[in-house]
Amino acid sequence: MSREVTIGIEIHCELKTKTKMFSGAPVSFGAQANTNTSVIDLGHPGTLPCVNREAVRLAIKACAGLHCTIDPLVKFDRKNYYYSDLPKGFQITQQFHPIGKDGYVTIETEDGKKNVRIERIHMEEDTAKQFHKDTGTYIDFNRAGTPLVEIVSRPDMHSAAEAAAYVEALRRTLFYLNVSDVKMEEGSMRCDINISLSYDPEKLGTKVEIKNLNSIANVQKAVQAEIERQNAALDAGEEIIQSTRRYDEPSKQTVLMRKKEGTVDYKYFPEPNIFPIRLDQAWIDSIVNSLEELPEQRLSRFEKDYGLSSYDATVLVNDRDMADFYEEVMKHTKAAKKAANWVIGDLSAWLNKNGLNFAKNPADPKAIARLITLIEDGSISGKQGKVVFEEVMKGADPDQVIKEKGMIQVSDDGALLEMINKVLDENPKSIEDFKNGKNRAVGFLMGQVMKASKGQANPKKANQLLTQELSKR
Amino acid sequence: MNSKFSAKEAAKAIEALQPELNAAVTIVEDPQDNPNQGPLAGIPVVLKDNINSKGLRTTASSKILDNYVPVYDATIVEKLTNAGAVIVAKSSMDELGMGGTNRNAATGPAANPWNTAHITGGSSGGSAALTAAETVPLAIGTDTGDSIRKPAAYCGVIGVKPTYGRISRYGIIPYASSLDTVGFFTRNIPDAALALEVLAGRDDHDMTSSFLPVPNYAEDLKPSVEGKNIGVFRTVSDRIVRPEMKEAFEKLVKDLEAAGAKIVDVTMDEKLMNLIAPVYKTIANAEATANHSNLDGIRFGVRKPGASVEEVMTNSRTAGFSSYVRARFVIGSYSLFEENQDRLFRKAQKIRRLLVDAYKALFEKCDLILAPAAVDVAPLIEESSDVRFGQDRFEEEHMQLANFSGYPSLTMPLGLADGLPFGINLTAPAFEEQNLFDAAAKIEEIIDWKEEPACLAK
Amino acid sequence: MEKFSTEYFRKLASDLKFSLSDEEIEELKKDFQAVEAQVELFESIDTEGVEPMVFPFEEETVFLRDDEVADVLSREDALSNAPDVRMGHVHVPKVVK
Repeated sequence: MSREVTIGIEIHCELKTKTKMFSGAPVSFGAQANTNTSVIDLGHPGTLPCVNREAVRLAIKACAGLHCTIDPLVKFDRKNYYYSDLPKGFQITQQFHPIGKDGYVTIETEDGKKNVRIERIHMEEDTAKQFHKDTGTYIDFNRAGTPLVEIVSRPDMHSAAEAAAYVEALRRTLFYLNVSDVKMEEGSMRCDINISLSYDPEKLGTKVEIKNLNSIANVQKAVQAEIERQNAALDAGEEIIQSTRRYDEPSKQTVLMRKKEGTVDYKYFPEPNIFPIRLDQAWIDSIVNSLEELPEQRLSRFEKDYGLSSYDATVLVNDRDMADFYEEVMKHTKAAKKAANWVIGDLSAWLNKNGLNFAKNPADPKAIARLITLIEDGSISGKQGKVVFEEVMKGADPDQVIKEKGMIQVSDDGALLEMINKVLDENPKSIEDFKNGKNRAVGFLMGQVMKASKGQANPKKANQLLTQELSKR
Repeated sequence: MNSKFSAKEAAKAIEALQPELNAAVTIVEDPQDNPNQGPLAGIPVVLKDNINSKGLRTTASSKILDNYVPVYDATIVEKLTNAGAVIVAKSSMDELGMGGTNRNAATGPAANPWNTAHITGGSSGGSAALTAAETVPLAIGTDTGDSIRKPAAYCGVIGVKPTYGRISRYGIIPYASSLDTVGFFTRNIPDAALALEVLAGRDDHDMTSSFLPVPNYAEDLKPSVEGKNIGVFRTVSDRIVRPEMKEAFEKLVKDLEAAGAKIVDVTMDEKLMNLIAPVYKTIANAEATANHSNLDGIRFGVRKPGASVEEVMTNSRTAGFSSYVRARFVIGSYSLFEENQDRLFRKAQKIRRLLVDAYKALFEKCDLILAPAAVDVAPLIEESSDVRFGQDRFEEEHMQLANFSGYPSLTMPLGLADGLPFGINLTAPAFEEQNLFDAAAKIEEIIDWKEEPACLAK
Repeated sequence: MEKFSTEYFRKLASDLKFSLSDEEIEELKKDFQAVEAQVELFESIDTEGVEPMVFPFEEETVFLRDDEVADVLSREDALSNAPDVRMGHVHVPKVVK
């Protein structure tokens, strides 16, 4: 019997607002250090917080997208601790009354779809960014006060794949709802993963937390490595220590950051500077009712309306911009499967090669659709299609490219027969040679046909018809 | 509003009184004329040293902020400036507002202008003293648990704590956010009415500030108690120690009746009254310890060296806060521990509700409540101390009820005992400042206060 | 660690990022007798069913700030009070994690 793995995940997402959670300073990534702050973000004495409406709106969208119950009375609390990246010496958060409760997200697992329950979603503010160097720590307060939602799952995941699928599902949902940039590599989405192993599913083992994961691939690798580490340790009779660990990419191992000694008392109490805020129910309703299509809805629509495989649909939907582009292409062509192949295959590869992604995709969906139609109806070959594609990506019109390059194939029997018989009539000598067993003559005649068609004859078809006509002579 | 002095003269007068009163922390060297021609045009104003003024050092009388020069103005500083006022000094206070004597200031105790051996009361003692000494007609203070009203009574001036939310707290270095109220000192009620008109109003920077429109308090001022039900807070007034204070208080009650007021006696259960001070201290210390966690020497303030950032914080906070303040942070923090909240912090918040309910009930019988501001005059500096914790006498702490409830409350001088002033306290329900001023203006006529302190600006 | 021992108060102070002298701790021990006495006083009051009063008024607000940029500090102002500034950052000795 193997030990049961229990995983719970806390995710912090920066909200896509113009300004901070409690101040009018701009939210930015990569701005010059300490240029996007206000006295509020720096925790100057006498400053007071003022709640950003847009942050609340985005939090409501997150709640709705993750099927949470929304509390129309917004309250904030203080979480007290001292750290150099925490300007006020407390973080304003929603400990006692989270804006959202009791939701779920659907994930794809090996055994099919599964719902992971979400315990709570609450709003809070981000800390400053610190750079640790040999010469000391350098603090940039631009990030301080950036609005966040923290999404806390129930311990419903039981494998590395499920953990990764959960993070992916959340990432996708928040991106679709335009709630967050969800860039793990830039830290606009961060996850803390709690893992414990136990034989008894009723009695969880000691929790170990993994922090600082910068990609979904690493979520899976880190969780797998940690499960293996804990199993090995337990097999060896060692005790699991309550601790925080990080994933070390080169060694593919989790490494200890710090032990957790007891529980920290954050002395939570209600924030006295923010009266409870009563949200207008009509406003909440209007946000919920005008929610963007959720990824799972889109997924089933792609499978149903376009007849795509679950795999193709998932690949497209996982990247909202790719799926958006696909839908644009599909406005101009009926070749759904071929279009999916081109978007997922050649177009993705081209973007990759050029250091771009679907958010910065220069392709004209109408031109790509036309190219796909031309291939689908046999006007050009797949091989020719690739040549045309390169030109289309430079902004060319596919029909124009085909014309210029003389790529249109003449496949019409009547037109081909007319050309072939004309060539045969003009070359009695070659017919003679053919009848004398000189197969070379066919090659010559084929050349004449191609020449007569200015290279546009469908070679396969022309060859077949030529052989047929020769035998009649 | 009239000022005895121009802004420049006022700054000089404050400077001249420093050896005796020690009431200022920072004096503006050469106050510049303010071109704004508002209701306070040319009026010199003193700010308590916890009110941020851009470019002008603001320390809250704490060593840790000794070098702090704000990069922003408190909302009320903008309002004062727009009204034409000129800031001339920052006044001494108990460190971070924590105290009631003004002894606990980084610059040492401020002295009472009536007798410099006595305290001014605190925490807004410097502002009270400078108003009493007639250096300025208006000084700003803050009141968390009587920090304007007590020193006003001790110094023989008018001290106004308006309704919570009436004046923006943005830019005011806090003490306890759920109790803190910005207010002021003047020497007459019409000036007080005008001051509130200038200072009050909704501020989007302070989410607790009120949206209620600001009345024309000064223009609408009608000195009258006619037909008003005035509740005499007997639970407190029965405890007045000095016979001359008792006599003056009872005479005022009679005079008010003669002026057309309907007098009713109101009382509160002493068991509840005894909870005022402990509830106040529990809530105030807890909120204060969190509010002042930003003072760590990292982004501003006085930094003490250390090998690690933790050491820097620890050294800065140890050197930056007085022993008294650190002790109160420990007590406040203790009451916030998860294991203690139910029996301390949260329990105090619950009892606060019971106290407020009981206090509100008194107003069912009256429009205003009259009480002695304190039952004795200002104690000697050397004999006074701040009780750090435990029980205080409720008759000395009753004005904290107005902080619990948020009600507007003022004190004004009634008489002198041993050459030191004593005063009365008048409180109204929330946002009924006009009613409060109208009655106070009548009382002002009745008392006809003409006394002058020994230390007077010349 | 024994409650209200010297060591206990040192820990409380250290959690608040300051230290206390022995004399200060002795004073605090007296204060905490008062704190505990006060707990008894609090316990004598029945608060069953009473909600904690967090604000003087319990009016709900509907106000939320519009998401518009305002009150941004220049870098100079943001750092003008910082005791140690290097390369546009607030500098502190290395954070010990």
